[in-house]
Amino acid sequence: MTVVDGQETDYSSLIEEGRVHSAVFTDESIFEAELERIFYTYWVFLAHESEVPEPGDYCRKTIGRHSIVVARGTDGEVRAFFNRCRHRGTTVCRYEHGNAEFFRCPYHGWTYSNRGPLIGVPFPSRYGSDFEKNSLGLVPVPRLDNYRGFYFTSLAADGPSLADHLGRSAGYIDMFLEASPVEKVELSAGASKSNFRGNWKFVGMDGYHVNFTHKSVQDLQVRRTGNAGARKSNSDRAPNLTVDLGGGHCRLDLSLTDRVEIGKATSSLIGEIPDTDAGRQYLALMTERWGSEAEAYSKIRGSRDVHLHVWPNLQLIGSEVRVIRPLSSGYTEVFGYPSMLAGVPDEMNERRLRGYEWFNGVAGFGSPDDREVFERNQVGLQSDKEPWMVLSRGLSQAEVRDDGVVVGNITDEVTQRSQLRQWAKAMR
Amino acid sequence: MNMALPSLGELREQVGTFLVEEAELADQHRYDDWLELWSPDAVYWVPCNEDDYDPARHVSIIYDDYGRLQERCFRLNSEAAHSQDPPSRLCRVIGNQQVSRGCDGNVRVRANMILVEVRAGEKNVYGARLEYTLHPEGESFKIRHKKVVLLDNDEPLGNLTFLL
Repeated sequence: MTVVDGQETDYSSLIEEGRVHSAVFTDESIFEAELERIFYTYWVFLAHESEVPEPGDYCRKTIGRHSIVVARGTDGEVRAFFNRCRHRGTTVCRYEHGNAEFFRCPYHGWTYSNRGPLIGVPFPSRYGSDFEKNSLGLVPVPRLDNYRGFYFTSLAADGPSLADHLGRSAGYIDMFLEASPVEKVELSAGASKSNFRGNWKFVGMDGYHVNFTHKSVQDLQVRRTGNAGARKSNSDRAPNLTVDLGGGHCRLDLSLTDRVEIGKATSSLIGEIPDTDAGRQYLALMTERWGSEAEAYSKIRGSRDVHLHVWPNLQLIGSEVRVIRPLSSGYTEVFGYPSMLAGVPDEMNERRLRGYEWFNGVAGFGSPDDREVFERNQVGLQSDKEPWMVLSRGLSQAEVRDDGVVVGNITDEVTQRSQLRQWAKAMR
Repeated sequence: MNMALPSLGELREQVGTFLVEEAELADQHRYDDWLELWSPDAVYWVPCNEDDYDPARHVSIIYDDYGRLQERCFRLNSEAAHSQDPPSRLCRVIGNQQVSRGCDGNVRVRANMILVEVRAGEKNVYGARLEYTLHPEGESFKIRHKKVVLLDNDEPLGNLTFLL
């Protein structure tokens, strides 16, 4: 299939019910169109409020090819600007995060306050009387909004609200926060940054790969606990579900197998409540917040099991806030932030970190194998004599619930179809 | 009866021999033999984003205790670690050693490492500053603490599932 560049091209025919064309993942002109039609149009996750906790704090982010500064002004308000001097375009923010009252361009010294306005231009007498300093502040992103501390941006001036975009996914963001007795997480532990030579859409939700891609992790779980429960929870006979929430948002629901069995088998991922002073204190805080010990456990497991993809670039998995950064059709960066729970004993967050590192990061026991598969996927898709991939698993058995949510078995491709259907809508 | 402590010159030579031996085992993927070099109270730390911080509050690339080191080697020995199938081809040079004797009897070492990795058609070069706390055992040592400060630990990295 020949793909023609240009904004008028309708790419939706590359997605059919039950199969997808490999050009969706390999074609660079399609990637350029994805930047315009998805990443510069839809709401995308930008930053978390805890990355700029104090007035003057800033962090630097990337959306597609845009470098963006997120800054909490001295007035306490969070704003986001394109990281580009209005004069000749030099980036004004050099560091990934910090605290600054102003951003000064290194080229000619133009200086902007952390609220955006241009406050200093050296040797101003050589500009004419029509020079409007007031109109040359850092350009703010067209739209910025936050849901419970998660800041999203849309680079399109008009469109649906953030609440409309998030739809049913918002309730799972709520659940994610409920492992904290004050319902807050902090990204204060920093990001584990990885890259792979493959397409950004491989970082999806797949309940079918676990027993194969992550066999080594399951072997470690068996070694540690003597319990092979995790293997059973990702089979076609498990009660666990793939869930299409609409709008490309989807999740894996791994909460339905015997919780005792899974609780043991996955204990190393996030950690159970330890039998220590800190563990008992955490449980007491959670019990006080949620009314009963049973409810506290339910909230802790609920948060652990959120396993959500907020389309297009955010995932909440276990303790992780995972951000997908597409840089070309065949190159992607992933920033994984192990979220720290606010209002809990330090030891609980330390355990959360060690649990995170066990699976995730560039030297963890799980996610490097995902990226290995993604890279082999990208190589394989270049052989496109037969360009179609099969995505029909569970297609005829999927159940549409009364509220419109589509569910299938945990090994079904409900989630991939959810995302690609949304992709086709955006790329039409 | 006190054994005579080796002179600093002898100690430097012993440490140099030890570091070369460790490098060779890591390069050759001899996981079980590499694990033998570690003390049961060991910490193996590869910091992330910054070179030094409180690992209880900030994510690390690796922060292994001995149990997790055993898991790391178990996984690498299994045939299911896809990210090391095939294994990386590795060649590292350790140099610029500075050796000092601590008052607790342990030996502190600082060194630099240049590591070339070849895998899946890609060649990667990693530079790192190394710090060790070694516990003397006869004329050799057990590793109590090893820290690998990668120069690019604040950048997105690829596959570091081989032994650093």
